[in-house]
Amino acid sequence: MNKTPERIESLAAEYVLGSLRGPARRRFERWMMESVRVRQEVWFWETRLGELTGAVEEKRPPEAVWQRIEQRLWSDRGHPAKARTTTPPARTPRGAWFWPGWSLLATAAALVMAVVLVRQPAPVAYPQLSGAIVQQNVADPLWLVSETTVDNRLKLRPVAAAEPEQGKDYELWIVPEQGDPLSLGVLPVGGIYQVTLTDAAREALSRSRTLAISLEPKGGSPTGAPTGPILHVTKLYEL
Amino acid sequence: MALMEAEQEELMRLLGSVAQGNRKAFQQLYERISGRMYGLCFKLAGQQELAEEALQDAFIRIWHHAGEYHSERGAPLSWMMTIARYRTLDLMRARKVRQTAGDDLLEHVEDERHGPLEASLHQAGSAALTGCLEELSEVQRDSILLSYYRGFTHDELAEALSSPIGTVKSWIRRGLIALKRCLER
Repeated sequence: MNKTPERIESLAAEYVLGSLRGPARRRFERWMMESVRVRQEVWFWETRLGELTGAVEEKRPPEAVWQRIEQRLWSDRGHPAKARTTTPPARTPRGAWFWPGWSLLATAAALVMAVVLVRQPAPVAYPQLSGAIVQQNVADPLWLVSETTVDNRLKLRPVAAAEPEQGKDYELWIVPEQGDPLSLGVLPVGGIYQVTLTDAAREALSRSRTLAISLEPKGGSPTGAPTGPILHVTKLYEL
Repeated sequence: MALMEAEQEELMRLLGSVAQGNRKAFQQLYERISGRMYGLCFKLAGQQELAEEALQDAFIRIWHHAGEYHSERGAPLSWMMTIARYRTLDLMRARKVRQTAGDDLLEHVEDERHGPLEASLHQAGSAALTGCLEELSEVQRDSILLSYYRGFTHDELAEALSSPIGTVKSWIRRGLIALKRCLER
């Protein structure tokens, strides 16, 4: 279909009005993505026809609406887990054995790569980290990772993550530049996982930018250090 | 007018804080505009449940996308109302909500245009738009207003205005083009 100025003008108006529907609407949305000229035409109509909303009578929404908005935005099915960095794991021989193995394991686990995610840079004072936990031969990332600096939260959204084997759980770790990994708790695959980082954990993560996931007995590592195989190691990127 | 400008400035300030993740500003923004937004969603959807859902979704979108607002997209209020309007239309389509012209509906549109609508539009500083709407033929204007305020499809308009669908389409198309030419003058 030809993108003549008249056609753009007419379709943009109908798009904003809402009378453009179905495949034609989706086709036009693609035009919008491709061309700033088309977007500007849409903005013209959004602004001008938007004036019509000034005449609509106000109506007070039920209180529950705000509560549901808050719930959807900030409640992650209960309370965000606190990073367990205040009680450092006992330095068991196992932990001592484990630590030097990280880099080797990470290399051996060549199936793991990290990808950069393109996101709108938010005006924040310190770097915001982002990345993905991916696995070779799986098209989608297993989890998408993002850090919100306003409230020191790390968020993992499962995309293609599969349930762990029976009787096991995934556990998320910060791999610091030095010292033992810090547990960020058991990582569910059923929903978004949010963890509030303590200052120490945030500091460690902003230096190393490395996360790992290990397979642990149900309920997480009994020792406070990873005990099972390290399934994924990923490096986060600054946005 | 000065009042409107002060309000837009305040909304701009709140939106800026929301873009930086300020929850308190987000709540203030909600308190300020949710009544107007809900009024619009309700008018479009004609039902409470869908209007509430659209309002919720719109605010969640605003929280996540506040940083994408820029002045080319109109005043902050207009940008946010547009988000709510599109969301309501999406939900209406997904749920196959069918709009029918009730007995009072067409008169209602009519009434608004000559009464409260015109007055409020003037108040909102939209004299140009009102003036240009006046220049359209009655059917063109009604088709546009019913689509805008009620989310009527071409089919529904054809039924409501007892006219063939092709005719309705051309009323809308020509009406919009005439409106643009007038607004550009």
